[in-house]
Amino acid sequence: MIPDMKSKARLVRSVLALAMTVVATGCSLQPVQPWEKGDLAKPAMSFSIDPLDDRFTQRIYNSKENASGGYGVGGGGCGCN
Amino acid sequence: MVSGVAAVAATRLLSAALALPGLAAGVAATVAPTFVHAETAPETGTIDFKYLYYHDYQPGGSRMRISAPSLHLLLPISATWALEGTLVVDAISGASPLYHDTLSGASKLGVNDLRKAGDLKLMRYFDRAAVGFGFAYSTEHDYVSRTLSTDARVSTPDNNTTFALGVGHSSDDIDSVNRVARGKSKRTTDWMIGVTQVLTPSDIVQSNITYSSGSGYYDDPYKAVDIRPGSREQTAWLTRWNHHLPSLDATLRLSARYYRDTFGIRAATLGAEWVQSYGAWSLTPSFRYYTQSAADFYHGPPFPIGFAFGKPYSADQRLSAFGAITPGIKLARSFTGGWHVDVKAEYYEQRNDWRRLVDAGDGGKGSADLKPVKAQFYQFGIGKDF
Repeated sequence: MIPDMKSKARLVRSVLALAMTVVATGCSLQPVQPWEKGDLAKPAMSFSIDPLDDRFTQRIYNSKENASGGYGVGGGGCGCN
Repeated sequence: MVSGVAAVAATRLLSAALALPGLAAGVAATVAPTFVHAETAPETGTIDFKYLYYHDYQPGGSRMRISAPSLHLLLPISATWALEGTLVVDAISGASPLYHDTLSGASKLGVNDLRKAGDLKLMRYFDRAAVGFGFAYSTEHDYVSRTLSTDARVSTPDNNTTFALGVGHSSDDIDSVNRVARGKSKRTTDWMIGVTQVLTPSDIVQSNITYSSGSGYYDDPYKAVDIRPGSREQTAWLTRWNHHLPSLDATLRLSARYYRDTFGIRAATLGAEWVQSYGAWSLTPSFRYYTQSAADFYHGPPFPIGFAFGKPYSADQRLSAFGAITPGIKLARSFTGGWHVDVKAEYYEQRNDWRRLVDAGDGGKGSADLKPVKAQFYQFGIGKDF
């Protein structure tokens, strides 16, 4: 039992250390300046490149699969049988 | 001093185009604006027409065909207002399973329907914020759906972080052609909270959580026997990451979604796209994997084993445990004068033994194999910025 608990404690410490590293790295990221946003403004970097494509594929998946959601609110419903 | 002036000039020059990729990205795909401006309404409008074709089938039988012309319009009204709208007409025909993979076409109960759907969204822009109001309507022979929604987005002063909040309410009426469902209805309220973060000059991430709570008629009246609970709560957590590679003029787009609902279904979706630009051309190969566990009340073959009076029961293949893949490819070209065209082809295949990542459901065994569902989707689009 004791070695098992020790290994668990080690695992928890490792996870905490990793989490702190991630947080520290995140905090040390330099804020991106407006003149550095040229690539971010490219259409391919948008989360919605093609609204009709998105709607069509989401509707198809909604009619073939159970999961939906995550993208937002306000889409129209359908019988989808 | 010089560098300060240069920085200010550069900021002014770029602010209109580059201000806030995150803000535009913060809203629903269903009602998403398509531009990157945030504080001001879009300076150019866009009109797009798409012809969409879908066909699904299983070994030994054709299922549904959908042919859908659609139109999308984004219209700037002033510096602070914009309007966005979509119209779609779906012509649906074919056969739908009566239970498991047994098709209704075999018993002369084919499906033939015309769905008309439209939505309109009005957007108001403020300094570092935007508010949208949407209305969606769709009608079929046996189904009418109306949705009202609103969303708001607010950015931090450096425009690197955008918070989004949305709420929508849908009211659906169902009157099935076979008279199994008469005067039935369903009411659903959706909530969304999201954040979009610019990480580096080449990386942007977005994470949204949506929660949906509905009550009313969830049965499928066209199935031989289908009795579902009268309410459902759904939660989805979607995270997307876009990474640009300047040396290759390419963009990698990744997404992951976890889903759970009160039908007992857990699902995971993973997506990847590689957008490769070649001057005015772009080629985008994509791959999607989806997997889900079975609903608590799904029962596999033989039909109707597991049915008991007064208890939910379904033999709908879509509620079984399965996995599905979609490889696809899209080719797009832009022209002078704001014109653009695109073609896209995708193949879809769904199999019960492709379930991974989520618990099996159905007593831990996964769902027994039904016939695989296969589908092809094609899109042809043409549009113009004005």
